[in-house]
Amino acid sequence: MKIAYSLVTRRTFLNTLFGGWLVAFCGGSLYALLKFAFPTLGKEPDFVVLKTTDFINIPPNSVKPFAWGGKLGLFFKKENGSTYALKGVCTHMECNITYKPEDKKFYCACHKGWFDDNGKNIDGPPPKPLEFFEITTEGEKLIVAKKGIKVELPKA
Amino acid sequence: MSCQRLKDWIEERYDVEEMKRLARHKLVPVHQYEIWYYTGGIAMFLFVLQFITGMVLSFYYIPYFEHANKSIIEIVTKLNMGWFFRSIHHWGAQLAIMVLFIHAFSTLLLKSYRKPRELLWISGFILLAISIFFGLSGYFLLWDERAFAAVRVATGGAGNLPVIGGFIKAFLRGGIDVTGETLIRFYAFHVSVLPIITLALIGIHVLLVQYHGMSVPLSLEKKPQKQIPFFPNLFYKDLIIWLLVLGIVVSLATLLPPEIGKMADPLAPAPENIKPEWYFLFLFQTLKLFPGDILGLNGETIAIILISCGILFFFLIPFFDRRSSRGEKSVLFTWIGVFYTLYFIVMTIIGFVS
Ligand code: FES
Repeated sequence: MKIAYSLVTRRTFLNTLFGGWLVAFCGGSLYALLKFAFPTLGKEPDFVVLKTTDFINIPPNSVKPFAWGGKLGLFFKKENGSTYALKGVCTHMECNITYKPEDKKFYCACHKGWFDDNGKNIDGPPPKPLEFFEITTEGEKLIVAKKGIKVELPKA
Repeated sequence: MSCQRLKDWIEERYDVEEMKRLARHKLVPVHQYEIWYYTGGIAMFLFVLQFITGMVLSFYYIPYFEHANKSIIEIVTKLNMGWFFRSIHHWGAQLAIMVLFIHAFSTLLLKSYRKPRELLWISGFILLAISIFFGLSGYFLLWDERAFAAVRVATGGAGNLPVIGGFIKAFLRGGIDVTGETLIRFYAFHVSVLPIITLALIGIHVLLVQYHGMSVPLSLEKKPQKQIPFFPNLFYKDLIIWLLVLGIVVSLATLLPPEIGKMADPLAPAPENIKPEWYFLFLFQTLKLFPGDILGLNGETIAIILISCGILFFFLIPFFDRRSSRGEKSVLFTWIGVFYTLYFIVMTIIGFVS
């Protein structure tokens, strides 16, 4: 069938066709590439299980590190013997902190941030207090969990 | 084949005469600010040095967290001239970044960015940014304690940007935290992504310089101009300066080989007295000016937004400076240029001594 006139010229039609083809191809490839390059994100754990004997007997006024996922966790015994667990990561820009027994404070060397022994940010740039965890013991097991998380251990 | 026959062979196929004529006819302006014009060439020379030393280092470096630090120690202790090439690569990088900053600030103060050279400014700016990222990623490949903390802070800082921050942070880190994955990613940036972009941009940048010709500072534009041929006059001057620069790099590399710190441990506290590399000090000092929170908002975020605006303005200066693009004197932007330059220098020095 022959059409007497057309709304678009043959040139416009082809340009649109090839243009659209190119845009779709490039856009699709770019999207796929970016999707590929973007990492699959892990999650911070809700809780970790440690061995009680490794931690409970540390001397007062000291800390012992443990792995909180890939991050640093600190088991902390105050001078009066009460025990805590906290995330050993500065709330400013995520440097690892260290405990200074002389001052009874936590210190971040990256930008000189200080936290008191309750985790409150008292000096330097950190904007928020440190994150403390909940600890429970079940026989041999020392369970360190995020606040407000219900821990259900698989029955052995 | 004698030399003559080789020459004939080539000449038969390619129009060598024409190229020679072109080279002879390329003139460049001479004036009292000429000295700043060599910084571009020096940067290019240093880039070549970085490419070569980087290639040989990559023969031996292992981008895996258990081996990375050790493999560098092996490069500098066990391999023939390993210490030398690693040291050259280190000092070449330091000087390249320094020269790029000088190049950028001299362009800013001489206003060579003005119409029609806006694209030159933009490509140069991106090259500078890439070089800094080169520096950061290369530093991280050491996988020592300092590098680890530095990259944690740098990527964490990027995460403070509103909206896109989290995305950028995860993309750079290759996960939620700085790990061995991050090391592989930074290695990929350092040896494949960044070099290819750099090559392309240098190509564009140099072509644009040829296309526009060397810019002449506004104040001299109206006066009668002296010109000299690029080849061989200026070319020889370039060579002399490159030789000097090579001497400096080699001396620094020999006398002050960079140290390698203790292997990074994600669970160790950040090392004492940690400071970023010198080209980050001005940012570091600026961040320090802001308190942890301002009127209930996160001070860090505000600081980073302000800094980003400052950098964006710097990037767009050719488009804001309307007067010099019309070829008029533009005092305001001279002051802005002086401000940027002084700010960078002063903050870097303060960061260095404090
Ligand atoms: S990261 Fe701890 S003070 Fe900045």
